[in-house]
This record gives sequence, structure tokens and C-alpha cells, in this order.
Amino acid sequence: MKILLAPLDPVHDAGLKLIKRKLEVLGYECILLPPDITVEEIGEAALAEKTEMIFVGRTVGYGVEQLFQRVKEVLTRQGVFGKIRVAIGGMAVNDELAKSLGFEAGYGPHTRIEEIHALIERNPELALHITHPVKEKPVFPFPHDYEVKIPETKTYLDQIVDGILDWVADKTSPGVRRAQITEAQLQDVHGSVENYTALPFTPDYLAQCDQSVADFFQKNICPPSVRQITQDEVTAYLRRIDIAKKNFHPRVLQHERKKPLVFVQYGTGCPMMDGMHIKVSESWGADGVLHFDPAWGARTEGLLDGFLTNAEDGTPVTYANLSLIKRSLDRATLWTVRAHRGLNTPEIAVLSGFLGADLTKINIGYGSICGGTDPARLTVDGVEAMRIAARYKMAFDIPTNEELAGVPPHKAFAGMLIMAQLGRRLGAKPILKPLLCHGPFIMVQGLMEQNYVDYNFAKIRALQTIADFPIWPGEPIGFMTHDEEKVKSAATTALHAALCASLGVDAVTTASTDEAFSRGPITSAGRAGALHGIEETFRFFGETDIAPGVRVKDWTEKLILEINQTLKAVAAAPSFVEALYAGILGNKEDGVYPGRAGKNSVVSLTPPKNLGRWDLHPVAVRKKPLARAKPARSAATAARRCR
Amino acid sequence: MTTARDTIVDALDIESFLLCESEKEAKELIAQLMQSLGLARHVIVSLDFNGPGAHFRVRAYMNKPGDNYTWLQK
Repeated sequence: MKILLAPLDPVHDAGLKLIKRKLEVLGYECILLPPDITVEEIGEAALAEKTEMIFVGRTVGYGVEQLFQRVKEVLTRQGVFGKIRVAIGGMAVNDELAKSLGFEAGYGPHTRIEEIHALIERNPELALHITHPVKEKPVFPFPHDYEVKIPETKTYLDQIVDGILDWVADKTSPGVRRAQITEAQLQDVHGSVENYTALPFTPDYLAQCDQSVADFFQKNICPPSVRQITQDEVTAYLRRIDIAKKNFHPRVLQHERKKPLVFVQYGTGCPMMDGMHIKVSESWGADGVLHFDPAWGARTEGLLDGFLTNAEDGTPVTYANLSLIKRSLDRATLWTVRAHRGLNTPEIAVLSGFLGADLTKINIGYGSICGGTDPARLTVDGVEAMRIAARYKMAFDIPTNEELAGVPPHKAFAGMLIMAQLGRRLGAKPILKPLLCHGPFIMVQGLMEQNYVDYNFAKIRALQTIADFPIWPGEPIGFMTHDEEKVKSAATTALHAALCASLGVDAVTTASTDEAFSRGPITSAGRAGALHGIEETFRFFGETDIAPGVRVKDWTEKLILEINQTLKAVAAAPSFVEALYAGILGNKEDGVYPGRAGKNSVVSLTPPKNLGRWDLHPVAVRKKPLARAKPARSAATAARRCR
Repeated sequence: MTTARDTIVDALDIESFLLCESEKEAKELIAQLMQSLGLARHVIVSLDFNGPGAHFRVRAYMNKPGDNYTWLQK
């Protein structure tokens, strides 16, 4: 087929040159007219060359409608229009304008060659992967060998993991018991979100719960700020979701590199608002989403049930809420439900696994020194949650947001590596989640005064040197570098994402452009804004790497040394739990302290001498303070925002 | 009958640049503006005063989490 390409600008014909090159690759014969021609000359050339199609391009935007009206008039007068197919393109052109003027199609600045090819061949299938992309759920985490590469580090980690498993072997907790009860009950659950029937919570379950949970089930008393969503609201919401799914054409953020995957954290308080934010995030390219629950949920024994909305941050974890959110997800979206920090850790892992979550989140260290849960309790519950994660084939990530309280990265990383090795031992797939942030320790030490690149570079390089675990910076990337001004906020998120791409990590969690705005809820537009920024930045850098500065090598080596010193100190403690109480992984001077929720709730399973069953005894954890591994460093406690 | 306003998922942001001589004046003008648009319940998300005036973004929440959402009404 012979195609005429005609620029109607005095000088700008780059777009048509580009189209010519690509169409010729596809086998078309193209004739490109020079710039600065008249409309009459276009028609004459088309007739003389016997072309079957004409593309007329106009880069300059003003007066474009009047110009193309004249093009149509002249070509009609010449007997071209109607005989030869004519399409138009340019900065101010779109398909709507073109068709309103009678042209076959119109193309704006983001047109892909596949779309033009589809038009020429009158075959929309040729552009379907561009106009209607279908995303497949990636197998995540990506392959890694999970080997600790530094022998000294491996020795300490194995020693600590052995100790943890020994320590928990004869212990249980109300959280573990509830998880067992819930898991048994879930096998009998039938029904759907359209006709939801509450889980059959038994007296045995309620006996393991706080009074507020018992009041909810027995007296229908909701916690403050929580209300029950009606079935009518759910029905109306599902209609909205079905409409959203019908028109769903997901963007793909990655350009040349296929990673990192991009996750968005939700937890507006309401599962229906979450669902809308999820649909926006999926549409604008997010590969996965993370469920955040309210802080009070982590400090309450037992979970509520039903469709519940919370007027504050964090969406209550209930079987019904998670089911509603699951129903909202696209099939390609990776779904994470965090379990890690509170008194319901094993039970949330059970619900998440049962409902088909791809991932969960567990960090005993963070949850107990920064999340408010007693270290002994969370050690018992955390190990159980990892076992559950392994059973349901959920990978789990290990957040290190204790950095936001002021804990130095090497302590946070030491705790994270312990969790990773523990998870691996229990048959799960752990994911390291370092925080790329301008946190208090980094501020006080002045480690990012020159740039945000080098110290983050050193953090990731240190982890990559120590072990081959998946790495997923969050939550979110660029924490404490954001601004209330949305362009600045999107820019810092996007540049951190580009840095992560350059470092070869597996995934990132992105902020919205509302990250620094704290006087109201995050908006759906803010989610789309940040994803736009990431898309453009991935396009900008492609496969080009960001180069590390001269300080990175020294900082990397220092971090590895300090991580090993911390692990050595933990290994030397009587137990991992006592290391947590003693502050080896973060102390009050760092801005953190052992949590109190669930204190004295761990019970020992000891075989009694003369009875045929095991008995339960409260466990006493030694209160004697341990010598600290290192002199405490000063750290800012400002801006504590542990998640 | 559903209005365009009812279809807003959560908030309406207005971003612009207004001429003024101080941040305080900018805030007063933004309040006036939002009042005139019938958006009395608003919050300034960002405000940057310099030189000729202020670059601002102001937000009116239509639906907050936990509300009876207008986009769920028939």
C-alpha cells in the first residue's frame, strides 16, 4: 500500500518522519512531502502518486479546526476526499475532532504506531494490546536463591533463628488460639458479599477476646468511629465496581525494565472507598495494593466481623471487609494484607490466606518495639503467622518503618534479616522491605544533606551484598521527602522509584501526592498523580542507571559492619525476646520501646506430670536489663509515624 | 437525579494562582472564593506565597471515608 504523509507546518514534520520510518518497517511504501506546502499540493501529490491513504499532520495547535475544515474543502474540490482515505494528526488533534470534521481518524501526541497500523488495515485487533492492554498477575516475588552470602552474618542469623524456634516451641497465646478457631470455622463458611452472613463466632472464640469485641458481637456495640455498612450500600457499591471493571484498560508503568512492580497502600477506613482507590490505582498502572488496618485493631484481642467502615485511618480487618475488597480487585492485581504488628497477627494471616491474598506482612521486631505489641507475645504470634503464610503460600514482606521513629538503619536491617532467615526456615518466602526515607537518624547524622541518592544506594547495596532475598522498598518510598505541593510530591516519589529501578529491586510501594498532607483523607486523584509521575520517570530513564556517588562504597561497608555487630549482640543475648526488651534492635534513645499490648498473655505449654493433657501457664520473661550492644546514639523522635 | 458533583469520588481540588500581598490575604481570598462557589467546607492543601501572589491548591471534600457516599445514591 502506498501512503502519503503531508506536513502542514512550515517546519515541524518530525512526527510524520517518525511514522514514515515505522510504517516502512511494517512494509508500506511511504511518500513524505516536504514542509511548507499548500493544501492544494497535497491533493495533487496524492492523485499523481495514486496513494491509497493520506496522513495530514499539523503540529501547531491554534486554529487547527479551521485549518482542517479548509483541508477537507480543498481535497473535496480536487476529488480526493471520498476517493482516498484521509486521517489527520497533531498536538491539538484527537479522534473526536477528526470525526466531527469528516476525517477517518485523528491522532494526538501519544499515538502509538500500532494504532495507525490498525487504522490502515482496518483491523482494531492490531492495536488491542495498546488500546486495551491485559495485565497478567506476575509471579511474585521474582526468583531469588535466599542465600546469606556473608558467612559471619549467616552464622549469627542461624544461631538467632534456632533460639527463636526453641523459645516458642512450648508457648502459645490467645492470638494463636483464635487463629486456630477461625481457620476451623472458615471451612464451613458459605455465602457471598451480596448476601453476607456473619461468621459463626463461638463462645470459645469470644473467651479469647477483649471485652470490646465481645460487646460488638453480643450487644452490637461498635467501637468509636466505626459504623456498620448496610447491605444496600454494598449492593450499590458492587454495581459501581462492575461498571469500573467493564471500562478497565490498565496502564503499564514499566518501560524497558520489567521491575520494580509498583504497589499502592490503601486503608482509607472504609472498604468501599478503598475499593474506589484500588480501581483508580489499578487503572493508572499499580501492580499491587496493600491493606492497612487501624492502629486500635492491632491492640485489641480479637477481630470484629461484618462490613465496617472507620472514620479514621485504617480499614478494619474483617472477613466481610476483606471479601468485599477481594471482589473489587482486578485478577492481575497482587494483594497484600498486613498482619505484622498486633495482637491479631496469626488470625489476620489466616483470613488473608483463606481469602486468596498473595502476600502478607510480618515483622516481630518492628511490631514489638514500634508497633506497641509486647515482644514475647509478638514473637509467639509472629512465628505462627509465618507458618500460616507458608501454608497458604503467601510471601511476606518485612517492613522496617522503625526508622521513622529514629532507629538507625543497621538495627532495623538486622531485625529484618532475622525475620527473613526465620521465615525461610519456616518454609515461607520473605521479602526485605527497607525504607527509603529521610528519617530522623539520617537527618541528625546529615547523611542526605547533599542528595537523596547516595545513602539510599548504600542501604540497598548493603542488603544485596549480604543476601539474595527479594527487596521491596516501602512504605512508601521517599517517606519524609514529600511536600504538600503535589508536583514536588509526585516528583520525589517518582525519582525514588527510578532509583529503585536502577538498583534492581523487585517492587516499590508508592505514596500518593497527598502523602505530606495531614489535614484530611488521601484522595483518589492523589493516587493517580503519583502513578503518572512514576510512569514518566520510568519512561525517562528506561534502562539507564543512576550512578552511585563516591561515598556509597564506604557507607555500604559501614552498614554491613554495623549490621553484623548488631546481629552478634542479639545472638549473644539469652533470647531474641530478651534482646528486644533490652533494646538491641532499637531503644528509647532511638525513639522506640517495647510494646505493652498483650503483655503477660503468652502461655506455656508444659506437659504436666500426671495428667493426660498439656496445661497452660503464664510465661515470665526475665526483667533483668541486658547490657546494650553498642553505645546508644542520639536520634530525633520527631515525626514518628510508624505503620 | 445524580449531579456531576455527586459523581466525585472524594474531593474537588482547585489549583490556581491569585494576586495578593501576603499569605494571610491569600487565605482570606481563598475562603471568599470557595464561599462564592458554594464550597464552604474546604481545606487549603498547599499555599506558596511569593512575589506577585500565591500558588495554591484548595480542597473541598465531597465524600469522606465512612460517609453515605453520593456516588452510591441512585
